[in-house]
Amino acid sequence: MSMAPSLSSELREVYAEESARLQRDFTASGDGRAAVAQRTRLVENILKWLWQDLISPEEHGPRNFALVATGGFGRGWLFPYSDIDVLFLYADHAGEEAHKDVIRRLSRELWDLKLKLSAASRTLAECDRFDARNTEFTISLLDCRYLAGDRDLFVRLHDKLIPKLIMRESKPLLQGLAEVTRERHNKFGDTVFHLEPNLKETPGGLRDYNVACWLALISAMDKLHDWPDASAVRAPVRKQLESALDFLMAARCFLHFRNGRDDNSLSWETQDEAAVRKIGAHESPELTAADWMRIYFGHARAVQRSMSQLMEEIPEAWSTLYRQFQSWRLRLSTPDFSVVDGLIFLQQASALQDPEVLLRLFHFMALHGLKLSTTTEYRIEQALPALAATPPRGAELWLYLQETLLQPHAAEALRAMHSLHLLTVLLPELRLTDSLVVRDFYHRFTVDEHSFVAIESLHRLRQSQSEWDQRYAELLSELEDPELLYLALLLHDTGKGVPGGNHVEASLEIAGRCLDRLDVDPGERATVLFLIGNHLEMSATLRRDIFNPETVATFADKVGTPERLKMLCLLTYADIKAVNPEALTPWKAENIWQLYIGAANYLNRSADQRVHGDAGDEKLARLRSLAPVTGYRLKDFVEGFPQRYLRMHSAEEIMRHLEMAEELGKEPVQLDLKRGRHWYELTLVATDRPFLFATLAGVLAAWGMNIVKANAFSNEAGTVVDTLYFTDRFRTLELNLSEWERFKRSITDVMLGKADLDRMLRDRQRSGKNAVAKVKVQTRIEFDDACSSASTLLEVIAQDRPRLLHRISSCLSHQECNIEIALIDTEGQMAIDAFYLTSKATKLTAEHRKQVEKALLDELKGE
Amino acid sequence: MTKVEAIIQNSKLEAVKSALQEAGVEGMTVIEVRGHGRQKGHTEFYRGREYSVDLIPKTKVEVVLPDSMVEKAVHAILNTARTGKIGDGKIFLSKVDDAIRIRNEDRGEGAL
Repeated sequence: MSMAPSLSSELREVYAEESARLQRDFTASGDGRAAVAQRTRLVENILKWLWQDLISPEEHGPRNFALVATGGFGRGWLFPYSDIDVLFLYADHAGEEAHKDVIRRLSRELWDLKLKLSAASRTLAECDRFDARNTEFTISLLDCRYLAGDRDLFVRLHDKLIPKLIMRESKPLLQGLAEVTRERHNKFGDTVFHLEPNLKETPGGLRDYNVACWLALISAMDKLHDWPDASAVRAPVRKQLESALDFLMAARCFLHFRNGRDDNSLSWETQDEAAVRKIGAHESPELTAADWMRIYFGHARAVQRSMSQLMEEIPEAWSTLYRQFQSWRLRLSTPDFSVVDGLIFLQQASALQDPEVLLRLFHFMALHGLKLSTTTEYRIEQALPALAATPPRGAELWLYLQETLLQPHAAEALRAMHSLHLLTVLLPELRLTDSLVVRDFYHRFTVDEHSFVAIESLHRLRQSQSEWDQRYAELLSELEDPELLYLALLLHDTGKGVPGGNHVEASLEIAGRCLDRLDVDPGERATVLFLIGNHLEMSATLRRDIFNPETVATFADKVGTPERLKMLCLLTYADIKAVNPEALTPWKAENIWQLYIGAANYLNRSADQRVHGDAGDEKLARLRSLAPVTGYRLKDFVEGFPQRYLRMHSAEEIMRHLEMAEELGKEPVQLDLKRGRHWYELTLVATDRPFLFATLAGVLAAWGMNIVKANAFSNEAGTVVDTLYFTDRFRTLELNLSEWERFKRSITDVMLGKADLDRMLRDRQRSGKNAVAKVKVQTRIEFDDACSSASTLLEVIAQDRPRLLHRISSCLSHQECNIEIALIDTEGQMAIDAFYLTSKATKLTAEHRKQVEKALLDELKGE
Repeated sequence: MTKVEAIIQNSKLEAVKSALQEAGVEGMTVIEVRGHGRQKGHTEFYRGREYSVDLIPKTKVEVVLPDSMVEKAVHAILNTARTGKIGDGKIFLSKVDDAIRIRNEDRGEGAL
């Protein structure tokens, strides 16, 4: 039996008219909920009409066969071009067979009306079977609604079967739902902040809203063994979600009507239109596309947060890995915070009146990768106005911030702080880029999220198995001040929030203000600003010939020091990786690495390019401005030092060295000792003499100090500035303040010949055995006579051990080599030492080089 | 129709692209590749370790053209990609049996 043509055309007319009216109503009101409800009713009526005409004219007929709305249709959410989810429900297979033809005819009629049916056919018994590979079907039953046919059959499904099914299968259902959600989130980079998000699928979208409701419903049904009377979602959460739902529904209806199909992507063009029409935000003033997207992100954040919170609260929804973590997470509780089921609670409700507790809270999050409980988030929101009135600032804030940035889950903590609007209270500079969409073909994320992803990509290096990531991870582990790199990443694109112009310059200005407010010390400030100012430099250089020495030299000269080169390399890596997940191809990673090695080698081989005191160097200009009266004294002091000396030391340090040099008449050995974050730093300023460097290294070895880095430079006047960075193996200086002076006096006495270094070293050698090397390092000695016109470069790679530097430098001095420059570094158990040598003021001859090599190999073998 | 495949230095990509566009070439495919010819590659030393660069990163540009445009395109590439040093790259030409536009099934030169 098919429909009478007159009825068919009548239906078509009604459908067309009603659909057009629906669209007009939406255009006028912008009310997505109403549009969706109206469309649901329209399609329902059509289906009932068709059912009556084709299948059964009886009110609840035929027996043992029912039409059930499921999924979005069951929820009453039929978007203009969504599929229509229905279930043809049978009592048994015989019924299914009997109604096959009429179902086909019904589908055809709907097809002619251009209605896309997404139909499932099941017997009641089949509905009761849970398939872990098809959790979607079982989930769709949670929204089932009677449309037509045997009502009793439907009641058996709804009132009896489904509650029992849920009770029985709640655990695998929750696990399956959570797993599918995690996969979907992973596909979208686990972030809400896409430049062109998909309203349905992106984290924070409509799918997440549904997941939140399903999670709550399944948990409630599991406990009640029945359908709950009211909404399963808690009232405060529901309120937040309802306003998000209004917005998302309006936006999705807008997209469907605009595109004429089920297309849920918020492209840039649609964002422009949505802003002009104020979709979902009718009461707002005029909106730009960026403003409108900020509203979207605010709602998406709320949805994602609620859903994540629910996933955290329901143990069955945890991933297997997460489950393993939960047992030891319980032991993480502190006097300030307790950890329950992986969520952070405050031990004292009023603790957040102290801003330091708040800062410690996020440090705790960053360290352990935990989420905040809803209660804690609520308390933070309560505490925020008071905090905003007198926000923490200065060195104390910087101390907490840097410690947080260094933790493995820093990005998650930053995101949490940002979503609670705390980050912009502490760093108002970040307001400019809050949820900022910058239209760019390559970037996938908003500007703020891009920075968080960049920071996260560096922290994730350690766990990565990829060969390239491991190389970069090694580089990261060598950094002296990685927190500066993370801070640079956080601030590097803030300039994109300033309209027009060059975003790099704008970022520099903004970062400068931020660094001032954090009271960051001048040396660190210079490094952060250098990184921000040059964050595109490496990418720009990659577009040139990176195997051309000139290209490498230009780039390396701009960078200046190996430490900055490492940081810039890692910043480039992270910046590209955070553009979009495919941006950093192995090809690109290899190119960056090639440029890095080239530049690193160049820096080592060009260390002895000398400064001229009246040169137009930026550092020199700053020095002259710092102390204008020093005039010619500064010029004479600086004359002849290598460029590397200027680059490695801040202007303030160079001024200090100048002061020390001017005291040499009174005290021929000037020393400065201070404790840095990782090492002690000893600076010696003295007049050059044979064995000076070796002697200094020897005294430190005799005191049991382990030299990890050192730089030795001399100027034209023969004044040396040697800086040695060392660790105090026996904690002599740390535990005994009085030893500081004794240590310095000991160095002076040895330098002036008043103490016997050899005896000190013999005593030290008697005092204990060396630790066995875990990693064997082969000794390598290489000369490069071409890289410098004035000296011969010697590179020594050897097993690090106590007294190594003393032995190498003594050996060189015995071989009548003058150490013009020494660049000493250690990587794990490998000592990497570079010396620029002269002999009688010229480069070493080939014969001399051979002698030196033999002497060094003899010295370094054995032990 | 002829397929023109050019393996060039990465630093020459922008110049080659512009030259091809000026020569009237409207579509192209750019692929990141690695390889070597006589340039062979080299070993870099860094902090005591050897890093072999035997497959050097290059860029491949592919265009399919009517035969009448091939010479012009080849000259555009030659003029902009050449430095005169080993490592400049190579151009390969091959015959294409057919081309089909996916959107509307246009065939032959009309699909280019």
